[in-house]
Amino acid sequence: MTDGPLAFFTLDRGTATTAASLLARVEGRFRLLASLAVPTGMDVESLLGSLVETVRGAAPELLDGADDWREWARLECLTHAPGRIVLAAVTERRLAALETAAANAGWEIAGRISPERTDALDASTLLLQPDLDLVAVAAGDPPAVDERERLSDLGALVAAAIGERDDLLCLLAGGAASLTDLLPAQRVLLGPAPDGRPAAEPSPLGELLEQVAARRLPPGLDGAPSSDGRQGFAHSVVSLAALLERRVEGVDVGRSGGMRVLATADGLRARLVRADGALVPDGAPDDDHHVDDVLRWSPVPGDLSALRDRVRNLRLAPWRDASGDGARLRLAAARAALARLDAAWQLADEADGRPGDKAADVLIASGGAFDVAPPPAVGLALVDTLRRPGGIGLYHDHARLLGPLGTLASERDRRRLLADLLEDALVPLGSAVVAAGLRQGRHAGTLRVSSDGSTSELELVPGAIQLIDLPPGLAATVELETREGVWLGVRARRIALHVVGGLCGLLVDTRDVPLRLPERAERRRELLDAWQRPLWPVIDG
Amino acid sequence: MSPATQTVPTDDLAPVPLRPLSVAQPACRFRLRPGDRPLVAAGDHVVLGEPLLERLRDAAAVERRLPLGLPEPSPGDTVEPDQVAPGGVRRGTRTEGPGRVLYLAPGRRLLVAVGRHSDVFPAPFAGTVESVDRVALVLRADGTGLPGAFAAGAASSGRLVVAVERPDAELPASALDVASEGAILVAGARIDVEAISRARAMGVRGLVVGGVVGRDLKAFVASEARQRAGLHTGLPFGLLVLDGFGKRPIPGVLWRALLAAEGHQVAIVGDPALLVLEPTAPLPAPEPETIRVAAGELAGREGRLLALLGRRRLPAGARQHAALVALAADGPGRPALRVALPLSDLERFG
Repeated sequence: MTDGPLAFFTLDRGTATTAASLLARVEGRFRLLASLAVPTGMDVESLLGSLVETVRGAAPELLDGADDWREWARLECLTHAPGRIVLAAVTERRLAALETAAANAGWEIAGRISPERTDALDASTLLLQPDLDLVAVAAGDPPAVDERERLSDLGALVAAAIGERDDLLCLLAGGAASLTDLLPAQRVLLGPAPDGRPAAEPSPLGELLEQVAARRLPPGLDGAPSSDGRQGFAHSVVSLAALLERRVEGVDVGRSGGMRVLATADGLRARLVRADGALVPDGAPDDDHHVDDVLRWSPVPGDLSALRDRVRNLRLAPWRDASGDGARLRLAAARAALARLDAAWQLADEADGRPGDKAADVLIASGGAFDVAPPPAVGLALVDTLRRPGGIGLYHDHARLLGPLGTLASERDRRRLLADLLEDALVPLGSAVVAAGLRQGRHAGTLRVSSDGSTSELELVPGAIQLIDLPPGLAATVELETREGVWLGVRARRIALHVVGGLCGLLVDTRDVPLRLPERAERRRELLDAWQRPLWPVIDG
Repeated sequence: MSPATQTVPTDDLAPVPLRPLSVAQPACRFRLRPGDRPLVAAGDHVVLGEPLLERLRDAAAVERRLPLGLPEPSPGDTVEPDQVAPGGVRRGTRTEGPGRVLYLAPGRRLLVAVGRHSDVFPAPFAGTVESVDRVALVLRADGTGLPGAFAAGAASSGRLVVAVERPDAELPASALDVASEGAILVAGARIDVEAISRARAMGVRGLVVGGVVGRDLKAFVASEARQRAGLHTGLPFGLLVLDGFGKRPIPGVLWRALLAAEGHQVAIVGDPALLVLEPTAPLPAPEPETIRVAAGELAGREGRLLALLGRRRLPAGARQHAALVALAADGPGRPALRVALPLSDLERFG
């Protein structure tokens, strides 16, 4: 038994950066004492040592007797590069359903095989790619009439290509299980048929595909099997939703992929992990489409070719070029990634037949994409891209704690830790009220903010962003009053909402939902710059 | 001595991201397509230029019915034209030429990848064959590899010629002539598509550059694809980009390594992206205390780290860990400079 402090580290080892935090029990509850993110590949021990030294320098009394810090527990998780999968089915319909399940479980689609689109040579070429992790073959369960005939042909093709490959697993989904005898038993996984559920809806096949993806994780620093950072993030969001009894949404954007998850007090409602949710997707160096997706959100002026190259370099070394215009370009890349996650965010209808409810009370942003931008700019990026009418509280998992905390096996322990760390782990960015459908006119409406005994009132400006100072920790009631009504999930002339303050205060957004941007590049850039410039502390030039 | 005038001890450079200068005896992978045939086996030692594999240039899948009584071939089995089992051709017309079995479909339908034209792919460097399967051939080099950011084109080899005077210079198309035939040229900080095309036309076997504009890279990749699709393919030509996109001066230590290796046989390979030096090529040691600016307006400048500054608010961004660095003067308009920079924009070689 030691007399040292009750302390531990968290480590979120991403593909671009490693985030480390030091947590310790202070006055009866766990607190975040220090955190740091550095490019991946740097020595973790010296990173943890620098956290200890930082705390010793600032508040030595918190770490009395901490010489044995190397022995402290570590909650560690890893985020890995997406696995590469080739999909095969005998009908395009089944192939599409399989792709929905795989693409939203974080896999990078390296090829699609169906008799209608690929001949034997093309299909063999796809199956004999290096760096392939999984081949998935799907058929209905039982196979439909049009599938039965050609399934055995497909089986012979797949068996021939992967028979000699020790590096490859084969997932047989649904009726494709009939091909089991053709393949080496130790490399076959059986799964349910793709059921065509909307992308973000949890499905048995999607869950299996996520589990297979997690098997690819390299071991942790101690050599033990490591935990998946994205699964950890999702677990933490579910725990937070139960703890707060709120609808909590989390988005994580990193170098290797992006995740979005929605939980209610009852549990997980929707989730997806996408390779193309990465800050700059893997194909960007070769594909202008991905690069131009980023530049559509960029307020940075300059030569198009040079800007494209800066975006490509962001793919190669995402930790670099993070000041000046580089920081704004990085947030443009984050916006493009969030927009891709939003485009894939399809939910099934609710039990009562209403369209899937995407609303959340709290939105948490995590991942390296948001690390080097000022909080108000991060808040606006979230509001720009994950748009829906209504009010929402915005938070930033600035120390990337949610991934490691989510790896705790015990839900009870996780909730207890999250309850302790809530204020430290989640930086309140502020609240956003997105009010759509406000008509132009002499007097569009008024906004009244009441907090702590004081009330302020201002005129609503259609098609604009208004920032109202509301410091962190302060709760307020917002009342919107309009002549012709406003849409906040429901249309009404007078609506009241409860909001909380944050580093960017209260953001009132009366722009369109979804956001409409000018088609002409220069006009679009100027508009984005006008919206974003006030939120950055200093912009050169 | 004030912190601003002394460099920090080498041990304190740990927070500066480390980039490997070289890889000893790297294992390089060469992809095989379904009709390609390896000409070596695992464990073989090959010398530079020795045939490694035969690539089908115009592969197509043909289907034949395998008569009853003939043994069933295995996927990947080599097929010679006169060995193909008799039977009516049901699909495809190019049945002459060698190939490899793709698979045997139900009903004894044999699918074979065949082609009339093939190219022998020679070993771009001396090494030992580590593995061969239907996916790839892995060759471990006898020499050393200098890692690049990425490569394009084909694996190629030649004698190394440094064609520019400075690591931040650019090689104009007009400077290329037939004297460079068979060489791999070090072309400075950037090369455009015109110079790449001219280099190829002059028989140059490859280019090593600090950076390339994405637009030029795309044009080069498209041109390579057209070359491969043609019946008369040219000699293999590779492009190795050491640092990234845009104009990127070659890092000082890499520049010195390239100068030292000039005249030696080298190879450009793509998986991983490397310049492979022959074992006799000298390799200067990195200077551990030298740091390099890898991004931003000062990208390419080198100097010494003076002090770690902790978290600082940097232009237009949040607070980041920064360092005070002294950058050396390195040419006209680039005087010595002391400046605070984000740690993440710095790198050092080791």
